[in-house]
Amino acid sequence: MENRPLLRSTLAIYTVLFIGFLYAPFVVLGILSFQSGPEGGPQFPIIEWSTYWYRHIFGLTPPSRVAPLPIGEALVRSMTLAFATMVTSTVLGTMTAQAFRRRFKGSGFVFYLVVLGMIVPGVLVGLGIALVANTLGIPRAWWGTAFVAHVLYTFPFAFLVMLAIFNRFDKTVEEAAWSLGVPPMRTFRKVTFPLIFPGVLSSMLFAFTLSYDEFPRTLFAAGADLTLPLAIYGTFAVEIHPNIFAFGVLTTLFSFSLLAVYGFLMALSVRSAKKVAIQEEIA
Amino acid sequence: MQVGSGAVAAARLAAEKKDPRARRITAILVAPGTIWMILFLVVPMLMMVYVSFWTQKTFTIEPTLTVRSWVAFFSSETYFGALLRTIKIWLIVLAATFFVGYPTALFIGLFIKNKTIQTIVLVLCVVPFWTSFLIRVLAWRPMLGKEGAVNIVLQKIGVISQPIEVLLFTEFSVVIGMTQIYVVFMVGPIAFMLSRIDPSLIEAARDLGASTWRIFRTIIFPLSLPGVVVGAIFVSVMVLGEFATSGALSGRKVNLLGNIIVTQVGSLKWAFAAVVGVILTAVMAVVVAALLRLVDLKKEL
Repeated sequence: MENRPLLRSTLAIYTVLFIGFLYAPFVVLGILSFQSGPEGGPQFPIIEWSTYWYRHIFGLTPPSRVAPLPIGEALVRSMTLAFATMVTSTVLGTMTAQAFRRRFKGSGFVFYLVVLGMIVPGVLVGLGIALVANTLGIPRAWWGTAFVAHVLYTFPFAFLVMLAIFNRFDKTVEEAAWSLGVPPMRTFRKVTFPLIFPGVLSSMLFAFTLSYDEFPRTLFAAGADLTLPLAIYGTFAVEIHPNIFAFGVLTTLFSFSLLAVYGFLMALSVRSAKKVAIQEEIA
Repeated sequence: MQVGSGAVAAARLAAEKKDPRARRITAILVAPGTIWMILFLVVPMLMMVYVSFWTQKTFTIEPTLTVRSWVAFFSSETYFGALLRTIKIWLIVLAATFFVGYPTALFIGLFIKNKTIQTIVLVLCVVPFWTSFLIRVLAWRPMLGKEGAVNIVLQKIGVISQPIEVLLFTEFSVVIGMTQIYVVFMVGPIAFMLSRIDPSLIEAARDLGASTWRIFRTIIFPLSLPGVVVGAIFVSVMVLGEFATSGALSGRKVNLLGNIIVTQVGSLKWAFAAVVGVILTAVMAVVVAALLRLVDLKKEL
C-alpha cells in the first residue's frame, strides 16, 4: 500500500483533520476561559483577555451576579471517593487475576460476570442500586452506594490489566523462591510484587481517573451530597458562564499531572528493573 | 520432547486440581470480587425487572404486581417515541463513527509502518479522553452556538452570510457531540486489526493485477471486520445508555431512553423508570447479540 503516494497523502491529511476534530472543542474552550468578566459571556468575541474566571473559581473576585461554582466540598468528596475506589478495585482486581493463573471450575462465568461491570450502562447500574437501597431502607450516599457502584465499574479494568500482566509473567521465578524455602508472603513482597508493579500502577491510574470523573452511575447512587461531576452537571441546567470553561482547563491540567506522576513512577520502576538486571550480569 | 513437556504440564495441572489447599486459595481469591459483582450488579438488575411490575403511587411504589407501567410505556406517544429516537440516534452515530473513523484507522494501521509513530498517533487520539466527560460534552456549546466558532469561521471564509442557528440544541449537535466522544472506540480496534494484515498478502494481490479498490474490498475490509464489530459493540453500548450528551447539547429537546429514566427518577416514578431500564437492557442485549453473530470473535482475535 505504501506505493500509492496519492492515497497515502490524502489519508494523512484526513488523519490530521480528524485529530483537529477531536481537539477543536478543547481549544475553543481553552480560549474562551480567558474571556473578560463578569460581563463576558461564554462565546466569541473575546472582549478582553483576562484571568478573571480563574480567579472567580478560587473566590478571588468581588461578588458579582455570577455565583461561584459549588465545587469546594464536592472536590474533597470526589478525591476521597476516587482514592477509596482506587485501593479497593486494585486489590480486588489483583486477587481475582491471581486466582485466574490457575484453571478452576466456573472461571468462564466469573470472567464474564466481572467484565459485565464495565459494559452495563451507568444509568442502569445507578437505577438498580438506588432501587435496592430504597427497598432495603439504606440511605444513599456518595461513600456508600456510589462507592459500591464505582468499584463495580473500575474493578473490571483493574482485573483485565492484572490478567494481562500475569499472562506475561514467568511462573518459574516464584517457584524458584518457594523451592529455596522463602515463605509465600515474603515471595509475594520480594518477587511477585516488583514484577507486577507496572500493572498495579496502571490499575490504580485507571481506577482513580474513572472514579474521579464518574457521572452516570453516581447520579442516582450518590444521594444528597454531590460529587464533583454532579456539581458540574448541576450548573448545566442554568445559564453557563466562562468559569465552567476555566474549571474545565484546570481539571484537565490535574488529569495530565496525574498522568505525569504515573509516567514518572513507571520510568522509575523500569530503571530499577534494569539496574537489577545489570547487577545480576556483573555478578 | 513436545510430547514429554506436554505430559509434564498435564500432570502438574492434574496435581493442582487435586490439591485441596490450592483450590481453597483460589476460592478465597475469587470470592470477594464475585460476591461484589453479584450483590451490586446482578441483584440490582434483577431488582429493576421486579420493580418494573410494581404499582406506582404518586410519590411511592408498592410491591403489588401489575403491568400498568408497561402498558403506559407502549401506549404513550412520548415514551415509545423516545425508544424510536434512541434507535435512530444510535444508528446515525454508529454509521458516523464508522465512516469518520475508518479512514483514520486505515492510515494508522496500514500506512504507518513504524510502530513508535503508530503508537504516538493513537495516543494523540486518546488524549482527549483524559479530560472530564462532562467538560468534553460542554466544549461543543461554544463550538456550535449561534455566535460559536463554527459559525464565525464559516462567515469569515464567506461560505455563509448569516449564522446557522440549527447547529446547537438539535439532533445534529447531539450526533456531532457523540461522534466526537465515541469515534476513538471505533478507530482503536479497526487500526489494531489492520496492523495485523500481512503486507505480502496485499503485495501478492497487486502483483496479480488487482486494483486498489478491489484489494480493499476483497482483502483489507474483510480482515478488518472483527475490529469493526468490536468497535461497533463499544459505541453501541455507550450510545444506547447515553443521557448527558443528549441532555446538554439538545437543550433537553432530544429525549433518549436514558433521559426518560433520569426525569422519571427525578419525579420519583421508580416503577416507570424501571420499565424504561428493562427496555433499554433488552435493546442493548439484542444489538450486542446481533453484532456478535456477524463475526466469530473468539476465532478471529
